Amino acid sequence: MLKLTLRNIAASKGRLLLTVLSIVLGVGFVSGSFVLADSLRTVFDKLSQDIAAGSDASVRAIEPEFSTGDNQLRFDESVLAAVSSVDAVGEFEGGIGGFEQVYTTDAAGEVVRPQGPPVLVFSWAGESQLSPFTLVDGVAPVGQQMAIDSAQAEQGGFQVGDSVEVVNPTGRLEAFEISGLIEFPTPGAYFIVFDLPTAQRLLNAQGQLDSIVLAATEGVSTDELVSNVSAVLPAGIEVVPSEVTVAETQADFGSFISIFGNILLGFALVTLFVSIFIIYNTFAILVSQRTKQLGLLRAIGASAAQVRWMVLGESVVIGLFASLVGLFAGLGVASLLKWLFSLGGGAFPDGPLELRARTIVVVFIVGTLVTVLSALVPAIRASSISPLEALRDGDRKTRSVRFRIIAGSVVLIPGLVLLALGFTGAGGTTTSVLTFLGLGSVLTFVGVSMLSALFAGVAASAIGRPVQSLKGTMGRLARDNASRNPQRTAATATSLMIGLALITGVSVLASSIKSTFQDLVADAVAADLFIFDESQGLPFSSVLVDELQTLPEVGEAAGFIEMRASVNGSIDGVTSFDTAVGSAIINIDLAEGTSDVGEDGVALLVDDAADLGLSVGDEVAVEFEDGAQTTLTLKGLYESNSFIEGQWIMDRALTRQHINVDNVDFVGVAYADGVENEAARSAVEQVTGGFPQLTVLDNTEFQESVEGQVNSILYVIYGLLGLCLVIAFFGIVNTMALSVIERTHEIGLLRAVGMTRRQLRTSIRWEAVIVTVFGSLLGIGMGVLLSFAGIKAIPGDFITSTTIPWVSLVIYIVLGAVLGIIAAYFPARRASRLNVLDAIASA
Amino acid sequence: MTLQERTTTLAARTESATKIYGSGDTEVHALRAVSVGFVKGQFTAIMGPSGSGKSTLMQCMAGLDRLTSGETYIGDVALSTLNDKKLTLLRREKLGFIFQAFNLIPTLTARENITLPLDLAGSEGDQDWIDEVIKTTGLADRVNHRPNELSGGQQQRVAVARALATKPEIIFGDEPTGNLDTRTGAEILDFMRRAVSELGQTIVMVTHDPVTASYSDRVLFLTDGNIVDEMMEPTPDSVFDKLKHLGD
Repeated sequence: MLKLTLRNIAASKGRLLLTVLSIVLGVGFVSGSFVLADSLRTVFDKLSQDIAAGSDASVRAIEPEFSTGDNQLRFDESVLAAVSSVDAVGEFEGGIGGFEQVYTTDAAGEVVRPQGPPVLVFSWAGESQLSPFTLVDGVAPVGQQMAIDSAQAEQGGFQVGDSVEVVNPTGRLEAFEISGLIEFPTPGAYFIVFDLPTAQRLLNAQGQLDSIVLAATEGVSTDELVSNVSAVLPAGIEVVPSEVTVAETQADFGSFISIFGNILLGFALVTLFVSIFIIYNTFAILVSQRTKQLGLLRAIGASAAQVRWMVLGESVVIGLFASLVGLFAGLGVASLLKWLFSLGGGAFPDGPLELRARTIVVVFIVGTLVTVLSALVPAIRASSISPLEALRDGDRKTRSVRFRIIAGSVVLIPGLVLLALGFTGAGGTTTSVLTFLGLGSVLTFVGVSMLSALFAGVAASAIGRPVQSLKGTMGRLARDNASRNPQRTAATATSLMIGLALITGVSVLASSIKSTFQDLVADAVAADLFIFDESQGLPFSSVLVDELQTLPEVGEAAGFIEMRASVNGSIDGVTSFDTAVGSAIINIDLAEGTSDVGEDGVALLVDDAADLGLSVGDEVAVEFEDGAQTTLTLKGLYESNSFIEGQWIMDRALTRQHINVDNVDFVGVAYADGVENEAARSAVEQVTGGFPQLTVLDNTEFQESVEGQVNSILYVIYGLLGLCLVIAFFGIVNTMALSVIERTHEIGLLRAVGMTRRQLRTSIRWEAVIVTVFGSLLGIGMGVLLSFAGIKAIPGDFITSTTIPWVSLVIYIVLGAVLGIIAAYFPARRASRLNVLDAIASA
Repeated sequence: MTLQERTTTLAARTESATKIYGSGDTEVHALRAVSVGFVKGQFTAIMGPSGSGKSTLMQCMAGLDRLTSGETYIGDVALSTLNDKKLTLLRREKLGFIFQAFNLIPTLTARENITLPLDLAGSEGDQDWIDEVIKTTGLADRVNHRPNELSGGQQQRVAVARALATKPEIIFGDEPTGNLDTRTGAEILDFMRRAVSELGQTIVMVTHDPVTASYSDRVLFLTDGNIVDEMMEPTPDSVFDKLKHLGD
């Protein structure tokens, strides 16, 4: 039987090629996700170790529970003196770090904005075993000098002696000379290094440090070092062994990489799921084409089990082979993904690709299991072929409608239930929700696929009606052929349905987010201009607000910053802005009291007031991240507003005294009465010109910018889901090719009685179009339903306006039709080139 | 009769039709310089043992296969000068086909199968003629059925009706009754006979059965790619006799 299995594969290798390719793609994506995540993890693990290389421990501030993530925790540099007094301490070095960007000025005097992520800034006291950096060219930076890593220098075309600019705490550009080039053990990460006082000044942290790295003196253990140093440290500052900081950094990177890897893996599994339908369809067709052979085998004494194992054996061989190819394809996928992300500006550090044993095991198990499971139903069907079937002509009877309804419903209903559970957040944890949603979608898609065979014939016939009126007999034949085998049409269409359902779902979500945002800008915004760091999203100096407020053309200017504070013992989100003028910038709906809370007051989201049992006039105890405590009076209750992320509103005049760096996230400007818009804007841009990282946008531009951001995320998702369409495309090609083979005699006959090659191609092309349009319609329908359910289920009012992107949906249908046309190309060409006599002779 | 007159009354003819399959040691001469004409309004049967070249001759004449050398004509049209598209259009407009079995497209109704060549040409055809053909074939109450709802004989009658629908210059049949029982086969042959006698059609069919051949006006005998004999007004017995002595 094994020999026969292998012979069968050899005989139909052409027909199996596309199936293998679809498994390879899915498996390759899985393998690539693992490879990329593993490689990144290794690079970042090494990076974490390199940062702490040569040190035994480090001193740092203890993180308060509610620290504002953006602000690095710092402590006074006087701690250095205390640390230096400890005998166990050998070398030590206080350092500070943050993010910056290197700007250059072009020949026309315009500031050139840097591309790519923010660059890490470090202070550097000189060459020491505690420093991870080595100077490879020039000298160490002093004062108005900086050193940058050689990779960045190469990319930016910088040389030692060049003058470049960085943003200083006033938000202005400040020139520095490149004094030297440095290298860091892990290639690919970008650094700028200043001397300590300059770094402190640039990061607006005079006299402050992030950390002190320590090396123990000869013969002193790390434990001893830690306990000795710990004894001299003031409250709020701790010393931890380097292993701990390394592990923490690795965990930080690791959790990011895991999320990233899991997202990729999710897309990979979706892709693999689509290929299940292709594999199933291929095996189903191969079994039906081989009915006579299988019947003959049964007639000469093969048992049903032997026939079943023969078909399953084929799937095992194919699964193993495709897994092997897919495993190595994964290396290519990983490189491709790295390259794609680097195009998007999110370059990863360099490092070799890693193929771990775990990846190999998982890939082989997943690839083979998926193939065998997909072939299971066709194999069972093959084993039920009776010996008589070898002698009988014509199609085998398909299973009863009732069986299909029952089987389809048995799969679909639990799928819908799981989806509903997932959407309503049952189980509470992200994992349980994702499990419910994932499993629910899988069952729903399979169920819909099974049930769609019930109406695939009718649907294909309906879709084919206009084709028939358009293309006459060719259209008629296309329509008939598309609807003559509903199961096959359904399975082919389903593979396309899944990809398009997901794409449609994402489109509806995205367009709803966009329209929600439009409503929000329209409802909540009174400002004429928005100013923020569009490219990096980093907070910036509040100096800008002060300067804008002095302009005569500016009526009101308010800076907004999101932060955290402890209110009555609970750590809550706070939105802080210039409350006296805030209502000129955003429309705040008040339920009670005022939003102009001043330095001694707060306002609270009205929904939370009831929960907390607070009413206007009550006092609340507030503690800030610097440890300062105060009591504020509740002066107003406001309705939900999407510009106010925190539940509390405080005044910026108060909060700026209690955060490490007095930054703002964005600034809103309202023009003064009677000033020409253009004049006002040019006055504002005059001021913001000194802040090269900032973008000034009016209402319309702001909306476009947000749409642009949503779109860029959307394109990445489309790209990843696009692979599903590629696999579905293979499926369509495959089904069309196999159908053409099956109809060889018929094609010969048509050619004999006068169908031209072109007419034949037209007919096959339109058949494919009917099938793909059916798939597109199913997918779009499913996608819209799923996204509606999803939007309903998203808690709160994140999305308040549901919009169906009609234009996109029409494009998807056209896309489906185009996929059909392309997919039909080779099968149609092959059919049109058949020798008429040979074709007629084949029965 | 001048040559000019002769050719105009011929529905089809071949000149030194030669067909060689393979090359070298495996070379097979299916047709060896066969020159033969088929007069309009005549029913011709081509007979011969397996491998005699009878099917090849018909297929080359019908534009389904190409000669190695020589020429075949439908009317005055030399087939070797036509490309695939022109050949297809010629088959559609000027020729009719009746194959042994599976003559019909399963997704189309009987009527749609009958009008298929016309539909492919995008032409209405002669509706009265088509109705008459359908009536004559006795299919009037079955025209809206699909092939799988028809008996073998009915299916073959639909095939004959399709061959007639375009009023072709010549109809080629490849063992048109080979798959039918004797009684049903006789029905079909009667009908083909009437199409020639009453409607003036020209039919060329390949067969190996003397009884089938006896429905024709003229029988051509082929062996080893040569026409070795011919017989007018055949009867089953005379054909049978001839076949017995064909190898002598």
